[in-house]
Amino acid sequence: MVGFLTKEDALCSTHRNHLHAIAKGVDMRAMLAEIFEKSTGLCGGYGGHMHLFDSDLKFSATGIVGAGVPVALGHAYGARLKQNNAVAVAVVGDGAVNTGAFHEAMNMAGAMKLPLIVLVENNEWAISVPFSAASATETIAERAPSWAAHGVRVDGLDVEQVVDAFSNAVQRGRAGQGPSIIEAMCYRFRGHFEGDADLYRSTEEKERRRAADPIERIKATLIERSLATAAELDGIELSISNSMAEMLASVRSDPSPDAADARRYVFVD
Amino acid sequence: MERDPNVIVIGEDVGAQGGVFGATRGLQKKFGSQRVVDTPISESAITGMGVGLALEGFRPVLEIMFVDFIGVCLDQVYNAIAKNHYMSGGRIRMPIVIKTAGGCIGSGAQHSQCLWGLFAHLPGLKVVAPSNPYDAKGLLASAVESDDPVIYIEHKGLLLKRAEDFTFGREVPAERYTVPIGEAKIVRDGRDLTLITLSGTVAPAVLAAEAVAKSGIDVEVLDLRSVVPLDMVTVIESVRKTGRVLVVDEDYLSYGLSGEVITRLVEAGVALKSVKRLAVPDVPIPGAVTLERAVVPNADSIEATILEMVDKR
Repeated sequence: MVGFLTKEDALCSTHRNHLHAIAKGVDMRAMLAEIFEKSTGLCGGYGGHMHLFDSDLKFSATGIVGAGVPVALGHAYGARLKQNNAVAVAVVGDGAVNTGAFHEAMNMAGAMKLPLIVLVENNEWAISVPFSAASATETIAERAPSWAAHGVRVDGLDVEQVVDAFSNAVQRGRAGQGPSIIEAMCYRFRGHFEGDADLYRSTEEKERRRAADPIERIKATLIERSLATAAELDGIELSISNSMAEMLASVRSDPSPDAADARRYVFVD
Repeated sequence: MERDPNVIVIGEDVGAQGGVFGATRGLQKKFGSQRVVDTPISESAITGMGVGLALEGFRPVLEIMFVDFIGVCLDQVYNAIAKNHYMSGGRIRMPIVIKTAGGCIGSGAQHSQCLWGLFAHLPGLKVVAPSNPYDAKGLLASAVESDDPVIYIEHKGLLLKRAEDFTFGREVPAERYTVPIGEAKIVRDGRDLTLITLSGTVAPAVLAAEAVAKSGIDVEVLDLRSVVPLDMVTVIESVRKTGRVLVVDEDYLSYGLSGEVITRLVEAGVALKSVKRLAVPDVPIPGAVTLERAVVPNADSIEATILEMVDKR
């Protein structure tokens, strides 16, 4: 998304949204402070980590599975009204594609030929139910024609495949060619929530899939193509890790919101 | 819509047809199909679109044909529209109007509900239900102007009535005006009892008040006009004067508006000689008109209840 989306392009994310916020350029300290529900957070601590909003960057998230797609549809229609050539992106998981809201929004985007891009992170599991048991079709991409959308399935753990697919979808959107679905295959390396015993997947499967860690893969590619050395990459990782540790320590000492303000912001007027 | 190009109307049959009750008639011709959008039967997409458009800086007016149908898209209404301003710590606004139709016209359980009590229960939504043409126009203008989300519930029985058949509020100026949201109106002055109601039951309440006036009972009729905010200042002032309160509500009885108004009166320490509620007694709205009349407040049942409460013999 970095490099393809501008400030005018909206991004509607999910309950697992931190990486998307970073990609959209959301201030990382403000986000971290919101994750810790501090008064210095992106939403003053009123939202929490699942409900991030950055109106300047047109970034929002929802904790309700599938609910971001109709919101992105609204952004896409806003782009048409403003004629600003913007696109709207909704990121969802494979669980969301079976909700009614997903179908309604995709159908309207197709009927109105709106610049909606739906990036599906298909990690094959909706908490404990595998995608293979939840979907009538083998892939999500193959459903796209029923909404007059362009559909493609890529290896979501391969950076270059994702970049190509995303670039293509953005071009289609800006060119007025209607909605796109990118089904990016990936894997959830941990349970759905902290404390999820994750007994529905075998240890063997989890270990095997972890070997395809996309960060390790892109690092290997960069080294193989002599674009970076292992030492350089280690250095970058260490320096980012250090600055994150500093940021974390500083955020932890931020104040929490004042209890007296709990009833603020229910209404504007 | 003339004043503010950011006002966009979206819904089923709002464009070419102008709404099933004609409430948006002529709008699409005047403002074009980009600002007055006919949609598929996709309420989740319509309400979600409203959220996205509000985030883009527009003021969407979303029409959900009947309030009963909001069940299929309640997620966007109460998880996004009602909460986004709060969850963002006041950084984003949801200036959205959901215009919908409620009330009984003999259409059975899935096409006759009011549900304002339901929306009022969910924090973050203003809830408006006008009783006459003058208020309908002025309150709608206020709703569109509001930076908060407003559930605007028109009564189907009133939508089907001609303006000249209204006994009050039938003169509607052609020019734009607003009626502030959150101010109740005293429709009829009285000394013996305060009858609190809104929307489609204001007119039968006035009829009942006039009928009991012949027995020397002087009823004050108060039209709440909005459920959120609830104008307790006007309510308390009236009940302090009369000492008797009857809440007439076309919505369901339990956990609703009538209990809320009376509880607030009790909490405010207002002395009460007599208290009653007349609302739909926790049953779905029946199909047969004989059954509907048995459970939905009307002029006769209101009159009977007043007579039980005030003994002037």
